[in-house]
Order: sequence, then structure tokens, then C-alpha cells
Amino acid sequence: MGNRKKKLTSTAVAALLGMTATTASALDIVFINDGHVAPYHVAWLGGFEDAIEAYNKEFGNVTGRWLSAEGSLEKMIQQAEATINEKPDVMFVNAISPDAFEPLVAKAQADGITWIAVHSPMESADYSFTLGDVVNGRNQGLAICALSGGEPYKIGIMLGQAGNPSGDARHAGILEGLEACDNVEVVAEQPADWDTIKAQSITENWLTQFPDLNAISGVTDGYMYPAIAIAQNSGRELDFYGYDGDIPIMSQMEGGSVKADILLSGTREGWNFVQMAYRISQGETPDKVYDFFTPLVMSEANHEIALANGFPADIEVYYVDKAMEVAEKGFLEFGPDSVK
Amino acid sequence: MRVTSPAENKAAGSGTLFDGMGLRYLVLVGLILIASIGFSIANENFYSLTNIGILLRSVSVLFLLSMGMTFIMLTGGIDLSVGSNVAFSGGVGVLTLLTTGSPVLGFLACVLGGMAIGLLNGVFIGYLKLSAFMVTLATFALARGLALVLYDATPINVENPVFLWLGATSIGNFPIVVPFVALVFVVLSVILYRTTFGRDVYAAGSNFNTSYVLGRSPDRTLVLVYVLTGALAGLSAIITIGRVSSGQPWAGLYLEFDAITAVILGGTSLFGGRGKLLGTILGVLLYGIIINGLILTGTNPFLQSLIKGMILLGVVLLDTWTQRRSAQ
Repeated sequence: MGNRKKKLTSTAVAALLGMTATTASALDIVFINDGHVAPYHVAWLGGFEDAIEAYNKEFGNVTGRWLSAEGSLEKMIQQAEATINEKPDVMFVNAISPDAFEPLVAKAQADGITWIAVHSPMESADYSFTLGDVVNGRNQGLAICALSGGEPYKIGIMLGQAGNPSGDARHAGILEGLEACDNVEVVAEQPADWDTIKAQSITENWLTQFPDLNAISGVTDGYMYPAIAIAQNSGRELDFYGYDGDIPIMSQMEGGSVKADILLSGTREGWNFVQMAYRISQGETPDKVYDFFTPLVMSEANHEIALANGFPADIEVYYVDKAMEVAEKGFLEFGPDSVK
Repeated sequence: MRVTSPAENKAAGSGTLFDGMGLRYLVLVGLILIASIGFSIANENFYSLTNIGILLRSVSVLFLLSMGMTFIMLTGGIDLSVGSNVAFSGGVGVLTLLTTGSPVLGFLACVLGGMAIGLLNGVFIGYLKLSAFMVTLATFALARGLALVLYDATPINVENPVFLWLGATSIGNFPIVVPFVALVFVVLSVILYRTTFGRDVYAAGSNFNTSYVLGRSPDRTLVLVYVLTGALAGLSAIITIGRVSSGQPWAGLYLEFDAITAVILGGTSLFGGRGKLLGTILGVLLYGIIINGLILTGTNPFLQSLIKGMILLGVVLLDTWTQRRSAQ
């Protein structure tokens, strides 16, 4: 936290003094994201900043910055246009709508910029950094089946913003996984637009509407924070199935109500961005569609129960301690040591 | 109810292109110069022709929406639905284009779709006397919902070159949308300053009831103002679709807040009856320069919100101070 404050202060001083934040460098990376306030975003951008600092310290001449479109397509387009004019080496763009960026991808590539589409793959991009959302969703669905206990089990699923490819893929995956069992009934589905406040009111409505609700599943851990709190405050014992690998959510797994999560971890993803850009700058060519490694997370006890109930043994599962460690310390998998 | 005299109206900034607002415009021009010089020192690319082209293209939609918002705020109203209307009218236009294959019908459908939402706003606000804030808050959600239904929440690619021309074409680094927006500004200036309707707009905002006494029809004026703003949202949709080669159900998100900010920066009163299109143009330019400069200088987005808020607060304070001084 102190580190972030220091960075903010130095950026403010630089802005006020009219100093440029960008300098000529061997590797300049820009990350344009769709937001910057959700817990996942904060961890993601923080991981990215820390990784830039670590790579610069280790190899020198590595710079980077991130921009937030705050959910606005128009702002993101403007940011991408202005960034292309700056000619960085690599742009990671978590496009609000990938189709809208096709003209800009061509422009960036004409200027020698490597365009990496984030989460939603783009054929025209140099690379796509994807999360395997359908597979992850299916794994979550299979975990729900295996941990539901075989009795009738009612679940509500909170979705992403309507039409968002990543959210839609996660949703499709969850439903695909749930086809493995017939005791689980999806009684409600509702988009919460990646918004924790909306998730709060949806949870309140569901608890009233479905007194026999057993579980809530979501396409982001951002929804789990209010959902868990509201259920606890109203004395309801529900199971929760998250997606993102937020540390505060995973920390509630051992003997708690959170049964499974997908380990993305914003921190890890931020570190992986810088590692990927560095590898490209060194002449490596990653897979055109690069899948971020995102295992399922369960407690050991729940994993054993799930396996006993037919959960596929070949699905890689991280137990909570290991998941928390790699989620917090992105450098373990993606730090400078990983590319030496 | 106090009736403002013609002299007071003049002092408050109605009647001609510039009167009564001189100090405000000088301050805005000064801020634009300071911001431009500061950002060009921070980043040499700021004054590049490419960046100027990017800046002008990126604010073109905001120019159109803000000009419409100026008309509305001059009447003492507000329109929270313009951003959603960009998405809705764009959806109507794209589907018409795909169904008929005619870009002309597509253009017309965009503008008429925007006007339909404007008409809905206008009827509820003008004739049924409902709160502009509440009505447009409702149509903010309604238009976005309609857009999501029309698009089935999925973007639609547009390849028709005629339909994309306005938003996509540049001559060198110069986007052709800029002279188009300038033309719209001239036309709207003539309407606002040289027609009876323009005087009715100021009158509706200065003193709604007195307009009735004087034989005017301020309720009809309100309807027309919202319809006009809807048409501008339709034009904005055409530009946006050209810019991104696709119809987008989430286009225009939060643009209403940018437009309101720019109009307030430009000196138009939130309470109606006072303001100029020229001020809005300067407000949009200042806002666009700040956004562009903050991107180019790599300023941390957490600070960007802080800086934007401080500038707006500063201008509002300055506005209050200058108004109080002139009242003394």
C-alpha cells in the first residue's frame, strides 16, 4: 500500500512538473484495461506495476504504464489511438468489445507495435492472452455437481455484463459442467455487470425469492464478497463457487462456505503480461493464443469428497495454501528468474 | 416569480454569440493554452498532427452531444439518456442498413431513432411536466435496454463504406468529421441566436411561466429541444459506428456525464437561461485536451479522476465567484 502511494505521489509530481512519464527504452509496455477499481483489477494492475519494476531492475530499460477506460468504449478507443501514436513496443488491450478495435489493430501493427488481445481472442491480433474461460467454467460446474451431495440442489448464477465474451464463455462453461448431474437446478441467472453493488441487490432478492436456495455461483469473485456477507448476516448457510482466485475469497475455503474457485489471480496475470512481453522482446514467439494457466482451487477435504463423487481425477486442482501463495507472489511463476 | 428584463438577459449571456460571457471565455482559452503548453512540454507528441487529429476525432461525438445538452440545460433541463440513445439509435440504423442494404435509409433510421427517444423525453417533460432528471434517468435505462435487445447484446460488424465514411475517413491526419461537426455548430448557432425558437429556448430557461404570459409555448419548446438532442445522438451514433466499423450495444456509456461536464465547464448554467454554444465548444476542447494529455503523460488513472474532479470544481467555484461579483 505504501509502495502504491509512493508511485502515485511520484506520478503526480511528474505530472505537475510537466515531466514525461515515458522515456526511450528497450521495452515499453502499455496495458489498456476496461476498469481499475474492482478488487481483481486492483491486484492485476498492481502485479503489472510490480513486474515492470522487477524486470527493469533485473534487465534495465523496461518501462510500462496502464490506462483505464472506466467501462467506456469511447474512452478505450481514444486511449488506444493516443497510445499507438506513442509507439510503445507491446500493447495489451482488454477490449470492451474486440470488434470495435479491428481498425486500430491494423494501425498498431503498421507502426511495429505488438498487439496482444486480452481475454477475448482476436484473429487479427499478434497474440491473444486468454483464460480458458469455457474450460474453467466447466470445471466449476463439475465441482458444483460433485460437491452438491446428490440431493436436490438449487443454485443461482450471477453473470457478467450482457454480451461480454469472457463472461458469456464462463457462463456457457458452467452450464456445460452442470450437465454432468441432474440433481442441480439453476433457479436463477442474472447479469450483475461486474458490479459488486448489483451483486449485493441480486443476492438480497434471491434470498427472499428462493428460501431453499443452496448455492450461488458467479463469474467473478467480485460478486462473492457481498453475496457471502449478506448470506451470513441473514443467517443462511449457502455454498459459494467463485471465479478469479481473489485471496480474501480463497481464504474462506478451509472449512468455510466457499467450495471452489478458479485461480486466475490478478497479481499473477499482471506478472505474466510482463513476462510475455519480455519473452517476445527477446525474440521468442509464444503460442498465438496463449492460455494463462488457471487451475481449479479447492480444499483438500473437498477435493477428496469431489473425487469420491465422480469428479474427474485428471482436472488439475490446487489446494488452498499453494493457490494463495502463487496468487500473492506472481514472481514465483513469472518473475525475472523465469526467463533467465 | 421574478421576470427578467431584456437587459438582464443580455448580461446573463443570451441574445448574441459572445455577450456577457467574455471573462468566462477568456479564462477557458487561458486554461486551454496552459494545458496545451504544459502537455506539450511533458510529451513532444502532443502537438504532432497525428495527435491533434486523434484529439479532434475523439471529441467529435462529445461536441455533438454537448451542443444538444447545451440547448437542454438552457431550458433548465438535463438529459441523462443521450449516451444510451447513441447505442439505441445506432442499433436502429445498423439493423436498417443490414435489412435494406441502403446506407441512406440507415442514416435516416439512426437520426429518427434518436429523435424518437428525444420525443419520448420531450413529451413527458414538456407536456406532462415531469422532472427532466427522473424522465431521462428512466430513458437512460430504457434506451440501453432497447439497444441490448436490438443487438442481442452482441456487436454487429458494418462493412458498408458509405455508412462508415463519416466516422472513419481522414485526409492525411485530418478527420473529415471535424468540418461536419463545425457545420453542425454553425447551423445550431443560427437556430439558437437568430430564430424565434432560439429565443424561446432562453425564455423557457429564464422564466418558464412568463413565456406563457408572453404568448409563447414553452412546453412545445421543451419537446423540440429534446427531439433536437435525440437527432444529435443519432448523428453521434453514425460517427461512432464509422469509427469502430461496427454497431456496439455498449456505445456511449457514461457520455452523458462527459457532456454535462463539458457544458458546465463552458459556462452554461445548471438552472437554465444562461450560456452559449461557444462556451460549450471551449469546454469540450478543454476537457478533451486534459483527457488526451493525461493519457500521453502516462498519468496514473487514479490521479486522472482526481485531476478532472479538481478542474471541474475549480471552474464551478470560479463561475460562482464571477457571478457574485457581477451581481454586486
